[in-house]
Amino acid sequence: MFKPLCQLIGVALATLMLIACEPAAAPEKSQGMGKLIGSDQADIERYARVLPQTQLTFPEDHKAHEDFRQEWWYLTANLETLQGEPLGLQWTQFRIALNPESALSGQVEDNSWATGQLYMAHSAVTTATDHLAAERWSRGNPELAGVDTAPLRIYLDNWQWQSRSKDLFPAILEGGDADFSYRLKLGSRAPYQLQGKQGFSLKSADGAVASHYYTQPFIHIKGEVTVHGEVHQVRGDGWLDREWSSQFLTGNQQGWDWFALRIGEHKGQETALMLFQLRGGGDLSSNPGANHFFSGRLMYEDGSGRSLSPDEIQIQALETYNTKGKKIPVKWRLQVPAEQIDLTVSALNPDALMPLTIQYWEGPISIEGSHQGRGYMELTGY
Amino acid sequence: MSSALNSTMASLRVFAAHYRHKPLQAGAILLGIVLAVTLLTGVKSTNENAVRSYSQATELLSRQATAYILPPGTTGTLNQTQYFKLRQAGLPVLAVIDGHVMDDKGRRWHITGSDIIAATALASGHQTESSSEEYPMVPMGRLLSAEPVAMLSQNLVDRIKTVDGSASLNLASTQVTLLPQPDSAALGNNVLMDISFAQQLLGRQGRLSYIALMTEDESQLALARSLLIDNNTLRLGDQGEALTELTASFHLNLQAMAMLAFVVGLFIAYNGIRYSLMKRQRLMLKLLQAGITRKALMSALLLELIILVHLGSAIGFVLGLQLSQWLQPMVAMTLEQLYDARILPGHWQLAWLMEAIALTLAAALLACVPLYRALTNQSLARAGMQYSQNLIHYRSYRLQFLLACGLIALAAILILISSEYQYSLALLGLLTLAFPLLLPQLMLWLTSALEKVAPKGSWHYLVAETRELTAPMALAMMALLLALSANVSMNTLVGSFEQTLKTWMDNRLHTDLYIRPHPTDADRIETWLRGTDGVDPVAIQWEAYSYIRPDITDEADRHRVMLLSRDDAAMLETVSLKDSASNTEQAEFWPDFFAGESLMLSEPLALRHNIKVGDRLLLEATENLYPQGLPVGAIYYDYGKPIGEVMISEKLWHQAGMPGSNRNFAVGWRGDTDELQTMLKNQGVSPAMMYSQSKIKKEAIKMFKRTFSITVVLNSLTLLVAAIGLFSASMMLMQSRQAPLARLYALGVSRPRLFAMVSVQMLLMVLITALLSLPTGVVLGWLLIHKVTLQAFGWSIAMVWDWWAYLQVVLLALVACALAVFIPLIQQTRRPLISSLQQEVL
Repeated sequence: MFKPLCQLIGVALATLMLIACEPAAAPEKSQGMGKLIGSDQADIERYARVLPQTQLTFPEDHKAHEDFRQEWWYLTANLETLQGEPLGLQWTQFRIALNPESALSGQVEDNSWATGQLYMAHSAVTTATDHLAAERWSRGNPELAGVDTAPLRIYLDNWQWQSRSKDLFPAILEGGDADFSYRLKLGSRAPYQLQGKQGFSLKSADGAVASHYYTQPFIHIKGEVTVHGEVHQVRGDGWLDREWSSQFLTGNQQGWDWFALRIGEHKGQETALMLFQLRGGGDLSSNPGANHFFSGRLMYEDGSGRSLSPDEIQIQALETYNTKGKKIPVKWRLQVPAEQIDLTVSALNPDALMPLTIQYWEGPISIEGSHQGRGYMELTGY
Repeated sequence: MSSALNSTMASLRVFAAHYRHKPLQAGAILLGIVLAVTLLTGVKSTNENAVRSYSQATELLSRQATAYILPPGTTGTLNQTQYFKLRQAGLPVLAVIDGHVMDDKGRRWHITGSDIIAATALASGHQTESSSEEYPMVPMGRLLSAEPVAMLSQNLVDRIKTVDGSASLNLASTQVTLLPQPDSAALGNNVLMDISFAQQLLGRQGRLSYIALMTEDESQLALARSLLIDNNTLRLGDQGEALTELTASFHLNLQAMAMLAFVVGLFIAYNGIRYSLMKRQRLMLKLLQAGITRKALMSALLLELIILVHLGSAIGFVLGLQLSQWLQPMVAMTLEQLYDARILPGHWQLAWLMEAIALTLAAALLACVPLYRALTNQSLARAGMQYSQNLIHYRSYRLQFLLACGLIALAAILILISSEYQYSLALLGLLTLAFPLLLPQLMLWLTSALEKVAPKGSWHYLVAETRELTAPMALAMMALLLALSANVSMNTLVGSFEQTLKTWMDNRLHTDLYIRPHPTDADRIETWLRGTDGVDPVAIQWEAYSYIRPDITDEADRHRVMLLSRDDAAMLETVSLKDSASNTEQAEFWPDFFAGESLMLSEPLALRHNIKVGDRLLLEATENLYPQGLPVGAIYYDYGKPIGEVMISEKLWHQAGMPGSNRNFAVGWRGDTDELQTMLKNQGVSPAMMYSQSKIKKEAIKMFKRTFSITVVLNSLTLLVAAIGLFSASMMLMQSRQAPLARLYALGVSRPRLFAMVSVQMLLMVLITALLSLPTGVVLGWLLIHKVTLQAFGWSIAMVWDWWAYLQVVLLALVACALAVFIPLIQQTRRPLISSLQQEVL
């Protein structure tokens, strides 16, 4: 209610975010992100656990998994205006369970305000010269924020992913703020891609941390985006990530660099490549220099694909950009030698720091080298 | 160019050496500046902090909203569906439910429940900078799952712990865990909960008190209007402006006092500068004779002044911030008592230091440049033996006197027509400046008159010398006059107010015991009271909030008021009318009023909106009965809170369908009230809800004293500054008079006689000043009471003159002066005569 108190609660929320979802801005005193994130082991164990034998099924797994601590629906899109100007767009809705008991019991009595679920959404539009971002918070409440299943609807206030069926597609995505807003039609016929082993995605070399993770990298998008009052007709490609777990990073991981790449034709098919590295969490004996944990998957339009093993992936930062006291690597060399993939990716707009509760960098990238294309990059913990 | 610079630097070095030799002179100048800036900064930071608090932080975030959505008729609650509709449209809104609950000890608590997540998101916006401070974890999970937890300030939790022995409250039969929050959370005395638990506790599931809308965007406001359901209304807020406006007079008063202290402080500094210049007159002549150009000398003097001002301001600024730390709790107390406003711990701004330096520098330059010019332009041929009185001529005293007379005449005319407190305060300032200007000339006249009647010999010498001393002491005396008269007038105001308040309370509190039962118990308690032998009378007061519209057609011009009603007998007995229809027309006021055909306004409300007896105004509570409004039948005295009060008759209260359950009882009892209280306790009335007449009076006077503590403190500080000023002026004067006094001693005047002479001289001057401060104080006091306070706060006060308080301050001035005379005199007696005789040459 009171502004200072709200700042205080705001810090609490930010901490929650750190604990729950996203390894983002490193705290002032270079304390490991993982220390904040992997805070209370006993608490974590009271949530549902990510197990390798769990089979993902659709459309059931599009919905919220309230017994897990955190979850997200995460869309990135590389669009183009009628004039051919590139425009990146990002929408993410997070769910955070506040305590294991209420997470399990769900709603309390007939009081719709009482809940164990907290939602947060953020969204951004990035052009070569502009980067606009907004954020929304709400408790889980059928009128305010949540996930409906039939038809599928992921919503927070007036931002929403409204599907026509129980499946994720076809759908209409709406969102925005005073400075930007959008209404996009999303369609996809490609099968979902299960990351890691059948959707069981490891997040550390010792296998201590993992998440359930699936992707739809082939989404066709058409619609309009309004930036500073100017309406643009846009079309392009999108990429959806779905991920849930109860713990994300180990105690000594600092943050992550994540790449969603559409690299065009590879082995005769439209191909997408997902790569990420978790900094500081790798196995010291096998990779003493970097101490990073790598993961990736090559995904083809027909639904087939190959999950890459950590030692197949090489990731190297080439150039950094200084913004708001942070050194952000905005140009990278990404290699998968076994697949003859050698890419240089660079940010469309290096000034794409997300000025939100949690600060991190996210924006569209262009791909050069052995393959050409476009994609998205998310850099946290800098 | 560089040679000019060199000679300026050389002069500065000489000055520095001079001050090293006479640290007292530099000290006096610095002391003046430090004192002036200290008070100025102290009050400034206190004021700014308070004003910032209204608009930013101390108030409920929801009160800063640009608009509110309220249920129809602005009473009751609204369906939370309204909130969901607005949220689904993407509007920045906040749901709030508030109300009162009783704890198991019979205390009433005001609780506020809001959508904590929405509040946080709205407050932080996009700029959550994680602070390095250690924040306690807010248990979000517990708050959102409707667990019985409440957030309170650490301070309040500590208070509850002291009284109850545990950090929890039993509210409406629910044990509520209290989560203490640091004071930086600015919760004040609020009990904050998440809406999930607050609705449950208040038994208002699905209902909201209001929705706060946080947008200035016209299209969003229009969108919100189009989404209103259930006849809910959207009302634009003022973002703390009302409170800022309401308290403006209070802050202006503080500011005026700070300026007064600043002026008094500058007097000290100016006096110090003059003295040091006087002492350096010969030195400067020598510098000029040694070839330093007049320009270089002037630059050196200016540089010296600038350095001193900066140094003094910097020290004063730091001390001022410290002073403000000390004043703030007092101001906070006053504001909470008067306006229900709360203050946050403060921040300071570098701009204040700049402002203080600029103000001090400007004032110092204005005052000193003529002196510097006179000094640097002195003839090289002059011996420089003359006394510094030459710097200011007697002729200028006559001019000052005439100017003062003109200013006083002007103020006298303007005061008759001023109706705004700001103008009255400005006129007050004018008079405050004018009166001291009278002083030097009056002193000259008085001493001249005394000279004529004084016997020849040492008495004549004494009076004649006093006349000569007028010039060096004039400024210090003027400062003393200012402080004395300000003090006298403020004392008069506070004393008169206290007297008026006591008289009013004696009239207002006509019965022995006042009871505020829980609304659900009201009927039962009334029956019991009426049926109990020895209880007589049983008077009832009803209370509610409503709005008035002075201009019936203007819906935006509405003001929240406390609406009261009492039964007819109690009304006649307790209300003291200031002005009523009976005085102006042949119509009788009371019969009309009891018939419900007119209403009464409290004096502060009437004055604030310039409403007179006979005006019509619309009272929203009776809007259905009287859509054309009701005439104001009378205005009554009220010294309670300045939030306006409107009184209507019991008949009209019931006709308008106002709630009958919020009822207070005032009862007479034939015996000891403790006996009745015990009986009522057995009837289930909490002791906390019973007040005996004596207890209310004691509390009220205590509150009053607290309310004025800040005024009294500032006032005493000003007097202290003036006393220090007088002390330093006398001290320096004594230093410069060592030679003449030594001469007298050498001529055979004995030490005790010298002592007596000097003392009589100083006392004579202080007495003349004190004498003039008497009429000045009366005039300023009259203005404060009958103009400023009446116009700013809406309180009529009968002026009471307190001789004892006057004598006290005069006594204080005499003591300061006596000390200032005796210390150098005693020093002198320890020094060989020859060195004192040489003083003049040095």
